[in-house]
Amino acid sequence: MAVEIFNSNPAIFAPVKPAKASSKTDYLWASDPAEIRPDGEEGDAEEPIDQDEIFDLIRSIYDPEHPNTLEELRVVSAPQITVNGNRVNVEFTPTVPHCGLSTLIGLSIRVRLLRALPSRFKIDITLKPGSHQSELAVNKQLNDKERVAAALENPTLVQTLEQSLVDASLRGQPAED
Amino acid sequence: MAPTSSTSAQATDSIEQLVTTWMVSGRDEEVTAAVAEVSEGRLLGVVKALGTYLTAEQDDLRTKGVDFLATVIARCAEKTLNRQSVKVLTAFFCDKLDDTETIVPALKGLASLPPICSSADALVIVNALFTYVKMRALVQSVRFHVFSIIDGLIAHHREALKDMKSAFIAPYITLAEGEKDPRNLLLAFAIARVILIEFDPAASHIEPLSNILFCYFPITFRPPPNDPYGITADDLRNALRRCLSAHPAFGPIAIPIFLEKLAAGSPAIKRDTLHAMRECFPVYGPAVARSSARKLWNSIKLEIFQPTDSTTEAMALATMQALIVTIHSSRDEDASANKDGEEDGDVQTLARDACEECLSILREPEKSQAKPAIKVLCAFMATTPSVARYTLAQAVPHLLKLFADPREANSRHPILLLLSDVIAAARDSVAKSSKTESMSDSTVEVPLAPFKNEILGALISGLAAVSTTGAALAGLTGLVSTPGLLSDDELGFIVLKANDVLDGCFDAAEEERSDDSTAILQLLLTISSTAPSHVRDQTLPRLFASLPPAAPPRDALAARARYQHVLRALSTLCGPATLFASLVSALTPKLTSIAFEESADAELSAAYLHALLAALKRTLAGKVDAGDVDVAGYVDSLVPTLYGICVRAAIGVAGVPAREPRVVGGVGDIVGLVVQSLEPRRQQVFSSVLFPAFLEGKIAPLCISEHVKVEDKFLPFTAEATTTERNLLVLFEAGVVPLDPSVKLDADINARIEMILSQGLACANNERQVETVLRIVGSIANKHVDELGSFLEHTKTTYWSTQILEPNSPHEARRQAIRVWTWISKALLVRNHPSALSDFIHRLFDLFGDATVGTDAAKAFGDIASADAVLTKRNGAVVKFLWAQKFATGILPRLMNGARNESDAVQQHTHLIALTALLKAIPNAAYAHEMDELLPLLLRALPLPDAQIRANVLETLLAAAQATHAPTTSSTSSTHATVLAEHAATIVRAVLGYTRAETELTSTRIRISALRYLRTLPALIPYAVLHPVKAEALRVLGAALDDPKRAVRREAVDAREVWFKYTG
Repeated sequence: MAVEIFNSNPAIFAPVKPAKASSKTDYLWASDPAEIRPDGEEGDAEEPIDQDEIFDLIRSIYDPEHPNTLEELRVVSAPQITVNGNRVNVEFTPTVPHCGLSTLIGLSIRVRLLRALPSRFKIDITLKPGSHQSELAVNKQLNDKERVAAALENPTLVQTLEQSLVDASLRGQPAED
Repeated sequence: MAPTSSTSAQATDSIEQLVTTWMVSGRDEEVTAAVAEVSEGRLLGVVKALGTYLTAEQDDLRTKGVDFLATVIARCAEKTLNRQSVKVLTAFFCDKLDDTETIVPALKGLASLPPICSSADALVIVNALFTYVKMRALVQSVRFHVFSIIDGLIAHHREALKDMKSAFIAPYITLAEGEKDPRNLLLAFAIARVILIEFDPAASHIEPLSNILFCYFPITFRPPPNDPYGITADDLRNALRRCLSAHPAFGPIAIPIFLEKLAAGSPAIKRDTLHAMRECFPVYGPAVARSSARKLWNSIKLEIFQPTDSTTEAMALATMQALIVTIHSSRDEDASANKDGEEDGDVQTLARDACEECLSILREPEKSQAKPAIKVLCAFMATTPSVARYTLAQAVPHLLKLFADPREANSRHPILLLLSDVIAAARDSVAKSSKTESMSDSTVEVPLAPFKNEILGALISGLAAVSTTGAALAGLTGLVSTPGLLSDDELGFIVLKANDVLDGCFDAAEEERSDDSTAILQLLLTISSTAPSHVRDQTLPRLFASLPPAAPPRDALAARARYQHVLRALSTLCGPATLFASLVSALTPKLTSIAFEESADAELSAAYLHALLAALKRTLAGKVDAGDVDVAGYVDSLVPTLYGICVRAAIGVAGVPAREPRVVGGVGDIVGLVVQSLEPRRQQVFSSVLFPAFLEGKIAPLCISEHVKVEDKFLPFTAEATTTERNLLVLFEAGVVPLDPSVKLDADINARIEMILSQGLACANNERQVETVLRIVGSIANKHVDELGSFLEHTKTTYWSTQILEPNSPHEARRQAIRVWTWISKALLVRNHPSALSDFIHRLFDLFGDATVGTDAAKAFGDIASADAVLTKRNGAVVKFLWAQKFATGILPRLMNGARNESDAVQQHTHLIALTALLKAIPNAAYAHEMDELLPLLLRALPLPDAQIRANVLETLLAAAQATHAPTTSSTSSTHATVLAEHAATIVRAVLGYTRAETELTSTRIRISALRYLRTLPALIPYAVLHPVKAEALRVLGAALDDPKRAVRREAVDAREVWFKYTG
């Protein structure tokens, strides 16, 4: 493969713990948080979409360059996501400032969220300020509807994207054998 | 002599007739008859009769003649032919090899000779083969005969062939060259292996031999469909690999080929090459391995550091181990002399270089390449002791130095993780070798011993820092599980430090340190499996002391979370007998004091009490699963205490925490577990106290005297009893349900069960009590059905007509009576009792037309077939194997017929309900074969206005679809897929409707199973079928992404993802 490797030996981080709903509830009677049935009918309360849920959606996207997930490379993290009404902002950090695949990573996040979030959301995807040489250009490209649509017309590109998204539904859980 | 000659003349005639007939008909009968003639010793007669054909001028007659003879010989039993005739036959068939018309049948004839011919004949055959047979001119089935003949000769006349030396090897190579058929190759490989190993081929033959073997490497054969011989690629691979590793002289030829294939191949070829290398290195020997070690390491390294997949990576590691072992294996001649003088100087350059290389990668321990580097080092440790020692001496100080380096402070977590890998590998390397060597050798050298103090120091300091706790715990667990490494004092020190961190974990506000506390408990468990005293004397007292004396106030969430954490830790640790004893003796006074504490908020104390009981229950359940023998002893101490507490609370003043039903339930669970583990003899003693206690008011003997006096009155089955007293029926159930069938309950068991049932239900004032009574009745009916004649008779007749069938009694009463009926039916059904179906279950159909209880009767089918916690083997119930499946097979046709019958709408409706309830309750395999019939019925049941039924149907559909999807492809599942495809578009549209949150009659359960079902469908149905609904599916699933419930949204995302990828 003649493709240039932008970062051949990136640092790997341990996956963060999923935020558990149980820690926020008061379990007076349950002897074990696992005994609280999450899908029980008793709670009619609405559970709004929050940053942890969006993080769950994108954490297991693969980096186009490595067999690691965006979470393992700390490209995305829960605190970098904000939800405000119908607006979602996802900030991500490339592993090196000259990473030429940042656009591809951003695009894979956008495609995943297009498929997995209700259409009422307006999604902004941006690089972490100061993390990339051509930050403005990438941001502009990622949030331009026309250019995203044009990119998704390219079958080779879509195939690469599907490769990155193949295990996205794992949501940070290790793959089964 | 005359009569003999005349009979022989007759025989000759008949043989001639046989031959002539066969020449025309080619039938099997003549062959069989000729075989019989030969076994009578008349081979000569057969040959004579064939005479004209064998030498006929006409080609096809000659072929047929030889073919007949070959067929007959092949069918003859070994002993029938004598030496002389074998010799003649050999010469004859060999002669016929020269004739292009007879070579095929002649080979067939020769194929049956090797087991019976002499060595001299063998040489004749071989030479004839080499002279006349031109393999290229023959088809593969004939070539198979050639290989079979040689294979047979090698098997029976190996020495004779060996003596031929190159006169055999060289022509054989020519013969085997260019073979392509897999069946022939399997034989050829087997022959080649024998030649290589036993025939001692001369150096000049090695290259030609390698040519007829290495040209096949790597095997890329893919068996054709319906292959009659069933040869797999793996068969060929294994056979070839055994050839490649058969001779050391192949080394210099093989290694360049291996390297080339490894570099260029697909993953499968890579794996095959690695496997072959692993088996070949030891044979090729250290000299070859050493000379190309560098090159080998460079290519194998690639597979480890840039692995294509994890299997290849594992194989590469194993291959590398084989390489290292081979390189170091034989200094054999000189090293055996000074074995004890074996020093690190013995370590070869390659191991040093590789080690060096890995260590330089490890200078950046947080980077992704560090993982494979440490894997290489760990693999080194499982090779030879000298390499292991060398690796440890290099790696451990390196990692420790990094750990101590303040500039690397941020990488301490990965450093400790790497170190813990090394520790585990060092431990396992010893475990492996000590298993192979003598176990009595107690002075096995522990490789980590020289670094013990430094490692321990680093891990303990890592333990203290929050960010590195997890990694340090992994390392410590590795250390303590290394046999013979740590002293008792050091274990105590580790426990001390671990306790401190455990305390910290409990105080953490959120659950963020739950992984750490789990790991600490794991560490403590590992320690207590060898030295329980440390945990008992250090950890347990600290944990007991940190339990609050009374329940914390309502708003003290942290304190409540903390006691839950402490109790969970206790129940994890206290499995071993001595630790459990301390747990019971520490918790008993606490239980007693809290149980009767009068406080402003009794619920808090009750919840605390419940938590304490739950901790005991969890520990006991673990011990029962492990089969610990000390559990039974608690029937004399813990059980009377708990009974005493509950009875005293129930008959005493109101408002004490121990009255709370959930507390009583917790006590019931504990009692049940203890009674379960008693032997029947001790259960008998227990039950002789239990029954009078609840039925005759003699409660005192069941409880300890501290709480309950002899004069205390307790009669829960009478009308005067209070609700609180009756709540204690759960404790009666807990004692009764686990009793063994051999335990005698009472003199008049019929009266007793009648009384329990009628009194119990008559006075029950809540659902819990009703359930309890039903479970007691069910359990007794199951175990004592033979003694219950009059009770069952009464139930079948009077009870049925007055309580269930009687339309004028109130709905609630009838419904409860159906539940009683259900339980008794089930109790009999699980033991396959003959009256279960005819006397009980089938009569439920009589209610199907009933306007009030028809639905209840239908739903009862689900309750009957479902699994429950009472009628289990553990509880001593008589449960027959696959009872639910048998029941389903028997009852399904009737239910399906009823559900299809459109003449009576009410009946049809009820049958549908019964069907869905039943299908939900039984495993998918029990109805998979009926699925094509069931599918339309299920779809008809889907719109019924009942959320429970709808959920049942969707879950049944899902289970059926998942079973179809599973790799166990049977014919039934593929037909299910076909049937599904017929209805697919309709199904998808219908099910899509049930994913909407805003519809009537929906529930999280319905929406989740609907979405899961939609997710599985695309895998089962060809895209063309569902193409018209794809756009609609994506749109509706898009709306489901906005479901108010998180769990539903999750399923919607996954289902939509599948539909996005669903294309033609």
